[in-house]
Amino acid sequence: MTKVRVGILVVWLGSLVLLGWMVAAQLKISTDLRSFMPAPTTPDQQLLMDQVGEGPGSRLLLVAIDGGNDTDKAALSRGLAASLRKDPAFTQVVNGDFDMGMLDAGLLPYRYLLSPTLDDTAMDEAFLADQLQQRLDDLGSPAATLLKGWLPRDPTLEVLKLVERWTPAHSPEVRDGVWFSSRGEALLLVQTRGAGFDPGAQGDAIDRLRTAFSALPHNAASHLTLSGPGFFTVTVNAQTRHEADWIGAISTVGFVVLMLAAYRSFASLIFGALPVATGALAGVTVMLLFFTEVHGITLAFGFTLLGVAQEYPIRLLSHRRAGESAVASVRGLWPLLLTAIASACIAYLAFYASGVGGLKQLAVFTITGLLAAGFSTRYVLPYLLPATARDVADTPGLGPFRQWLDSLPRPRWLPLPVILAVAAMLALAPGPFWQNDLSALTPLPRDLLATDARLRGELGAPDVRYLLIVQAPTADGVLAASTALEPVMSNLVAKKALDGFDLPSMYLPDLATQRARQARLPDRLALDTALDGALQGMPFRKDLFAPFVADVQAARAAPLLTPDVFARSPLGQRLAAMLARRGDHWVGLSTLSGVHDPAAIDHAVGAVGVDARLLDLKVSSESLVAAYRTRILHAVLAAAALLLVTITLALRSVRRAWHVLAPMTLATFLVLAVERIAGIPISLFHLVALILAAGLGLHYALFFERDTGDPAEQRRTLHATVVCVISALLVFGMLAWSSIPVLRAIGLTVALGVAFHFCLSILMAPHARQE
Amino acid sequence: MRMLDKPLVVAGELAWLGGDRLERRVDRPAKETSTIADGEVTQEREGKKPRSFSLKRAPQLKVLLDSFVALLAGDPSRLAESFTVALGRDADRWQLTLTPRDPGIAKQIATIHVYGRGDRPRCLRMDEGDGDTSIDLLGELATAMPATPTREGLVAQCGGAM
Repeated sequence: MTKVRVGILVVWLGSLVLLGWMVAAQLKISTDLRSFMPAPTTPDQQLLMDQVGEGPGSRLLLVAIDGGNDTDKAALSRGLAASLRKDPAFTQVVNGDFDMGMLDAGLLPYRYLLSPTLDDTAMDEAFLADQLQQRLDDLGSPAATLLKGWLPRDPTLEVLKLVERWTPAHSPEVRDGVWFSSRGEALLLVQTRGAGFDPGAQGDAIDRLRTAFSALPHNAASHLTLSGPGFFTVTVNAQTRHEADWIGAISTVGFVVLMLAAYRSFASLIFGALPVATGALAGVTVMLLFFTEVHGITLAFGFTLLGVAQEYPIRLLSHRRAGESAVASVRGLWPLLLTAIASACIAYLAFYASGVGGLKQLAVFTITGLLAAGFSTRYVLPYLLPATARDVADTPGLGPFRQWLDSLPRPRWLPLPVILAVAAMLALAPGPFWQNDLSALTPLPRDLLATDARLRGELGAPDVRYLLIVQAPTADGVLAASTALEPVMSNLVAKKALDGFDLPSMYLPDLATQRARQARLPDRLALDTALDGALQGMPFRKDLFAPFVADVQAARAAPLLTPDVFARSPLGQRLAAMLARRGDHWVGLSTLSGVHDPAAIDHAVGAVGVDARLLDLKVSSESLVAAYRTRILHAVLAAAALLLVTITLALRSVRRAWHVLAPMTLATFLVLAVERIAGIPISLFHLVALILAAGLGLHYALFFERDTGDPAEQRRTLHATVVCVISALLVFGMLAWSSIPVLRAIGLTVALGVAFHFCLSILMAPHARQE
Repeated sequence: MRMLDKPLVVAGELAWLGGDRLERRVDRPAKETSTIADGEVTQEREGKKPRSFSLKRAPQLKVLLDSFVALLAGDPSRLAESFTVALGRDADRWQLTLTPRDPGIAKQIATIHVYGRGDRPRCLRMDEGDGDTSIDLLGELATAMPATPTREGLVAQCGGAM
């Protein structure tokens, strides 16, 4: 190596290290999947986007404790609940504990404003006498020990009524004071503070939960089963990363072997990797300048898409003639390489036009990366490569292969049968064309989903699909509307349209209702008189109920409860999750469980005369995906038109542009048709992968179309293309075997695409001029 | 009971339905039937819809059920599982003193005394942790219940059964 080359290598590597260090210090990776979803346009879609991450349903974790005896499991359930309630990462923990302390001690007098008991009876002598008689019977009954402690303060058992009101409609069996499933697992419902589809926040919450569990005594015999949207997010993330890692490792080994076999030189292998590394680092750096946070998926997809750039050094390495300097060969190659780079950039521009945050990042990353890799291949790499190189044109077997390819018929009518086959396959393909259901791409094992359904059923946990939306200009307006809905919803439960519901007003009634209840409470004199009358002939001690009288008087005079004040009680978090400010109005979100007849619910709710409706998150998400796809398709069409113009201008010939663009277009539709006839519905990921494959195919066609008239150069072109095809098949063919639908979609599409593009660009290239 | 001026008297029938199932039927002062079965306590009162709660919410009741069933089934090993048992004898009269082994339950139920003669129990006294006492006069003793019972009188009557 000459001193100059060592100098260049040191400077290049040095700047890469420096860039890497800067990037590592600055990079903030966001994991919220919502930045990969399109901007919502309708209010329902807006709500969906908020709900997907932050709705009460999506933040719910279902926990089951299995193994060991019932007493141990119950103790673990109580211990876990106690430690999670202290942890700020969780907003709600329920395990069936009969929790009379649900209402903050300071708020206890408010039970008369929160409970509906006095809505249809007055607190008079007759009511109290009946209540006291019932309590006396209670004292002589097996329930005595349960109620004894509350009697002096709460002889009408309002607290008990409230606790029953706040307990999920279908709670599981209670053993040893906590919930148990029919299979004998102790059950808990935990709500996280972090958004449901933020794998980072959910992973942290799940780690905390597991740590809290393993810190409990006697946990050796038991184990935790988790479920819920957040847990799925984390599982999918870990599984995807794990598979991508081992697939990446195998592909890397394969790639190293391929490069060594193709060029028989370690230097070529090492130096050949530098442009892509430069592109990746430059891409991340530019992303950091434009965006405050970089999405994890952008990086994963971005590195995949940047694989196209590996073609640039491969072309340079393959096209070197014996004795020719690398600088000279890159000069000869550059016009074509520049066209390839420009067209790939145009294809990726489609992502930018999609208007989706994550895809915009992806576009910035890949375009910067392609340019950096291309220009470093042109202006730095040639000065680094060894002065002499082996001419790959002499690779054994390459000559006969080229001859065989040249002897293949190149029928001009080839496009016609391909078009007909594509049309036939698309017309006959089974199933729906588009995959609108985002969840179909979640690679959840069946048993995980079955566990989720089972736990959800046992816990009476809310349906994640439906939400009841109540809107009003003020928070109190939402509560008032919710109060009006309560009888309607109870009626719907009675009619079996659904199993249960949770409305914000069940926790905190609106101010007017509270005021009315307050007005019905008797003053001290009236209450004393009524109580004295009711106590006539009863064995209760005369002064026993002084705390009760004090509480009623406190409730009469207390300022009404607002959501702000209520927020300080343990139940406040639950209310806060159901009542949110959105712009200039307030929205109440009610979770429903066991929805059987959504149409009946929507109809009944609509008839109440308040601004309330049933939101079907599945329908909203499907409409969102459909709108998203339309946008991407438009962007792709625009990119295709731009590409047509660019190629035609670069080649200065419509006929030559046809030889490049026709095989690329046909191969793209062929991939689409083959996937459809195989019964695969097309998702967004397939579209992204099609664009990537088209970018690769465009390169093959560009180089095959080049008519040099030199058989050795043609063999070099073939060599470079074959190396590119094999490396692409290696990476994406491996992905096609993945168990994860997203990775499989990308892998299969690109692998098929590369194969079709290669074959069609050879068969549709003009015949090599024979010597 | 501390809350009440005078003892609360209920009269009725207690029936062992086999297994872990007990039925407690009250005739006076108000008709009420409580059934303890399969870990659930169900209370039915005239004119009211039945209400039920899990036995686990009322551990005292569980202890009472255990002691009763063990006694009626004549199963000393089951009794010894949940209680330390002390037996006192005087001719054909006997007294069993049961102290719950579980410290949590012992806080709520200090001791259970069972008094009997020959092969049948005659009275059951439960001293609760908060100072309240409940006394079950069984069989012939129940008919000897005075019109205005006092706590001391009842304790003496129960213990006198020995």
